[in-house]
Amino acid sequence: MTTIAGQRRRLALSRFWTQFRHDRAGMTGLIILGIFILTAILAPILISPDALDVTQAEGDRFDPPSLAYPLGTDESGRSILLLLAWGTRISLTVGLAATIISMVIGTAVGIMAGHFRGVGSHALVGVTDWFLVIPFLPLAIVLATVLGPSTLNLIIVIGITSWAGTARLIRAQTMSIEGRPYIERSRALGAGNWHQMTRHVLPNVFPLVLANTTLTVAIVILSETTLSFLGLGDPLAPSWGAILDRAFSTGAVSQGAWWYVLPPGICVVLVVLAFTLVGRAMERIVDPRGSTA
Amino acid sequence: MSLLQEVAVGEPDPIRTPRVSGSTLRVVVSKVVRAIITLAFVVVFNFFLFRMLPGDPIGLYTRGRNQDAEQIAQLRRDLNKPLWEQFITYISNPFDPGIDSTRFSRPVWELIGERIWPTILLLGTAIVLASIIGIWLGIRAGWKPGGRFDKVSTGTTLTLYSMPEFWLGMMLLIVFGVGAFGIPGFFPVGGISTPGVDTSSPAGWLNVLWHLVLPCTTLLLIYLADYALVMRASLIDERKQEYLMLARAKGLRDAMVRKKHAVPNALLPTITLIFLSLGFVVTGAITVETVYSWPGLGLLTYEALRGPDIPLLQAVFLVFSIAVVGANLIAELLYIVIDPRVRQ
Amino acid sequence: MIRRMIAAVAAATVALAPAAAITPAQAADPVVFTVGMLNDIDSLNPFTGILAESYEMFQLQYATLLSSSATDFTPAPGLAESWEESADGSTWTYKLRPDLVWSDGTPLTANDVVYTFNRILDGRYEQRNYGSYVRNITSVEATDDRTVVMTVAAPSPIMERLAVYILPEHVWSGVDAKAVKSFANEPEAGQTLVGSGPFLVTERRSGQFIRMVANDTYFNGRPAVDELVFRVYNNPDALGQALIKGEVDFASGLTADVFSTLEGKEGITTYAGGYSGFNELAFNMGAALTDGTPIGDGNPHMQDQQVRLAISHAIDRQQLVDRILDGYGTPGSTVIPPVYPTLHVDPGTQSYDPALANQILDDAGYAMGPDGVRVGPDGEPMRYRLFVRSDSDTSVRSGEFFKNYMAAVGIEAEIKPVDENALFEIIGRGEFDMFEWGWVVEPDPDYQLSTFTCGKRSYEDGGEIYADLSDSFFCDEEYDRLYSAQAVETDQTARAALVQQMQTIIYDQVAYVVTYYYDNLEAFRSDRFTGFVGQPEGTGSLLFQYGTHSYEAVEPISADDGGTDPTSSPSPGATTAAEEPAETAQSSSSTGLIIGLIVAALVIIGLVVLLVRMRSKSAADTKE
Repeated sequence: MTTIAGQRRRLALSRFWTQFRHDRAGMTGLIILGIFILTAILAPILISPDALDVTQAEGDRFDPPSLAYPLGTDESGRSILLLLAWGTRISLTVGLAATIISMVIGTAVGIMAGHFRGVGSHALVGVTDWFLVIPFLPLAIVLATVLGPSTLNLIIVIGITSWAGTARLIRAQTMSIEGRPYIERSRALGAGNWHQMTRHVLPNVFPLVLANTTLTVAIVILSETTLSFLGLGDPLAPSWGAILDRAFSTGAVSQGAWWYVLPPGICVVLVVLAFTLVGRAMERIVDPRGSTA
Repeated sequence: MSLLQEVAVGEPDPIRTPRVSGSTLRVVVSKVVRAIITLAFVVVFNFFLFRMLPGDPIGLYTRGRNQDAEQIAQLRRDLNKPLWEQFITYISNPFDPGIDSTRFSRPVWELIGERIWPTILLLGTAIVLASIIGIWLGIRAGWKPGGRFDKVSTGTTLTLYSMPEFWLGMMLLIVFGVGAFGIPGFFPVGGISTPGVDTSSPAGWLNVLWHLVLPCTTLLLIYLADYALVMRASLIDERKQEYLMLARAKGLRDAMVRKKHAVPNALLPTITLIFLSLGFVVTGAITVETVYSWPGLGLLTYEALRGPDIPLLQAVFLVFSIAVVGANLIAELLYIVIDPRVRQ
Repeated sequence: MIRRMIAAVAAATVALAPAAAITPAQAADPVVFTVGMLNDIDSLNPFTGILAESYEMFQLQYATLLSSSATDFTPAPGLAESWEESADGSTWTYKLRPDLVWSDGTPLTANDVVYTFNRILDGRYEQRNYGSYVRNITSVEATDDRTVVMTVAAPSPIMERLAVYILPEHVWSGVDAKAVKSFANEPEAGQTLVGSGPFLVTERRSGQFIRMVANDTYFNGRPAVDELVFRVYNNPDALGQALIKGEVDFASGLTADVFSTLEGKEGITTYAGGYSGFNELAFNMGAALTDGTPIGDGNPHMQDQQVRLAISHAIDRQQLVDRILDGYGTPGSTVIPPVYPTLHVDPGTQSYDPALANQILDDAGYAMGPDGVRVGPDGEPMRYRLFVRSDSDTSVRSGEFFKNYMAAVGIEAEIKPVDENALFEIIGRGEFDMFEWGWVVEPDPDYQLSTFTCGKRSYEDGGEIYADLSDSFFCDEEYDRLYSAQAVETDQTARAALVQQMQTIIYDQVAYVVTYYYDNLEAFRSDRFTGFVGQPEGTGSLLFQYGTHSYEAVEPISADDGGTDPTSSPSPGATTAAEEPAETAQSSSSTGLIIGLIVAALVIIGLVVLLVRMRSKSAADTKE
């Protein structure tokens, strides 16, 4: 049975890939992502930690772009290009880790809320609605303040503030799947809740979860940038948001040091855009009706 | 950002309540009750969360003041009452945490009262302009999906969408405020007015408008992207409706069909979304106000983060929550008013 | 930040008070001196306000008994023209100047002084800002209209530093103990606050400006400028622009980047004045309660003086000044900054020398381990927690520098950024190894020195441990003995010697690595105003001093450069840009905003109505 299911899955995957390959927007996004992921992986090999050591920086304060420093220098005379490359690593790590938390919570809550009836389900829907209604950023600020500034805490905060949208989507999907005859049949045959949820519902909502994941990563990276800009991340880990925070608080704006501000923002835009493009392309394939484009 | 999520999830779902059976009044009452319950949760959450915070606010507050140990101990005893006692005090007036803002040493409600108007001015202007321009863009793009206008406008809006709003703000500030790339710094670098200018005179209003241009443009561009995308999507949806096909088959002119039928119907979800987003856009204000030193609630939040100024942070969170829940309630009630189907 | 609020002492250089009020013929345009600052005041009530900006208003509005000289902060006459301690040290007698009057013409007598001090002695709320000045005082009496006698529990040099603003009894007696808590002390329209300082508050608009007018009855002579305006800017860039455009004549508290953009601008003089603040790297020298009970979990290595000394030698203070302060500061040494020349001492032995630092650690038995981290005699690696304040950009950046300096000598510092609130508690509980923070030091060194006494270590109250002033948990018998001695030494020279000895002990023991003394960055329109007085002379800040020296001395630059009456000679530029602030504006600034709101609301309502109409019409259409 597992082999048949496995085969079917592999087949579906290759069909998915064929469709995806023909989606120009999706492929563009994928290529951009590939470049950034490569940078993130190679960063520790290409850059020696000395390059980011403030005491050994040789550049001047706020040097404009030059041959030695293609993107200029920061307030300590370090190369902004190297900082950015290192920042890719941190931004992507936080983005992916927080997304995983968000997806796990969102999927679990969504399936349970859709599967069960009664008080428990109402409570889950209530909590989901509450998280949807409460303004994201103030809530995240408050949580981050309580937990203290660190990369791990940032991941947790973003994870637990961004799952509600997913949960609502998965709940609706679960309810529609559970209406299908074969699930009713398996229920009649005495399948337990756990069995129904993991064996029947989860595989069916999974493609949607995946498409939603890529879209969530985009949002999560934006959230990370915003929270880090507000100084709620680890100030020592130069994520793109933290770089922008530094630029802002050390007066790069008033000095007109655009080379300190422009590149991190472009990185954010590219990555977010890439994830959005990939996500939308996947959504078009997985759920042609629900797509907005 | 949450707005993006809203779109990503698919069509906005403003009708979260079950299909209504019963009078409009009952629907309204149930929605109001829900909003109140949501806020009650915020108040309770707010209270307990901040009790978990590490730190010795009294110590920090009194450090450097000419108070002796006995006085400080007394202040601490006042603050460290039993939890239930603190809770009752807090519930009875969540806006008065009993201790002043540690950063400004002033009552928090006084600060909020001062700072709320600039935020309303900034957000109000940005939202009104963004909805008008966004809807117009969405109509043009959505009526001929795949056309040149659609491609350019959707590409642009998607890019704007992916931008952290504060970064756009910083770039606009560098280019048009400080001056870069040969463009002279034409706009003020921050604040709501030039200190000393009488803001109640016509010249003062102009001065405020002058300061409003850059922060408002920043928010406008970001919100515009949201609204245009939603309007476009719902217009595309609407175009697929049978009655439109019918109308066109009957030979009605294209422009007529668009103006009389498609646009009004497609506007419905968009307008609802604009109201639903009223709460969420508040968050954009936090970073943009920070970048432009716009003396509103957003900047106040940023300032409260230093320390952190817990009484202030707590109150600001409450105010934002009320704004969001209120805006949601309005959106839902509005939906009842303008969509007869919900009323039945 | 652990900041001493600038508890300023109102000042006056010795001069005979002109008895007759000088009322110069008011020319068409009064001379307005406008100061731009980055924070609004919190209150005009001297019992309530705690911000440095508020203290600046208090000392301009209300004189104090004695002041701090501009030259070197030594006690100087204020309302009192002379003062003396009794031979046994049990009483202090202050003799007021003759013919003092309040700005409303009421005589200012010893009774006002007694009233003010008794109010603080008897009041709970009133002690908030002034408690430490009166702690030692047992009674205050007026023996005649010009003589105040204070009885003290023990001899104390603080009696020459009583930064207590003397309030007019005939005004404040109407504000009872309960009302004082919410008393704003703001002038009513068209009135000025009754005071005795060089300027009187006449208008305040929250968040925007404070306007003051020269006090004709000021005992030291009416100031040369007619009006003094403080404008609030909420960002340093805007403040810098305002100075360039001539909206303000003086910009205070600038950031390094704005300051450097102002350098060399025509008509503007930039001035990096020495300031009374320092930043430090502090060590956990053995956290304990006042009774000696150990608390916390500090690494015992930190209790080894050789380790702290090695770290001190490993830190390049000059680089920190260059990189973090952009050069606007001086490398640090002891805990009393050099702006207090009579008190400061610099032993100068702990220079930047990583080789020496390595040598010290080798000799002390901290051998280099295989992973580049040294291992102590106890077998534990030299791996420490270094707390920095996440709210402060300079603190975080300093932390990065410290970490790298220490790595160069085989010490691994793990940087832990936390907010100030949390750090304060962590320090109090002794749950740290090192941290970065700073202090601002008052002219009287007592408070600063007390932070290193055994008695200021943490204490327990109701099962909880709370921080007191000590954050290094330094505890030294000899130091405590010297502290007690200086606290009762009323001879300034003898006291200075004790204070220097104490600084040296802290320096040699390396309780702190004082990293730098930062400058106060100011800039002003030198094409319009002149006569600023630095405190201390030549090197110190021009405004926000302990006293009102510059405000009294500043004068417009006149066309013929010889006019003594400032109002008669029009000064270039002074009348063009320095407009009076919004005199007619009675309504609040929100008027404009409200109009904007109404417009916005109308647009929204219009949209909704339109929508509903279109909606119903289209519904009707489809029904056909």
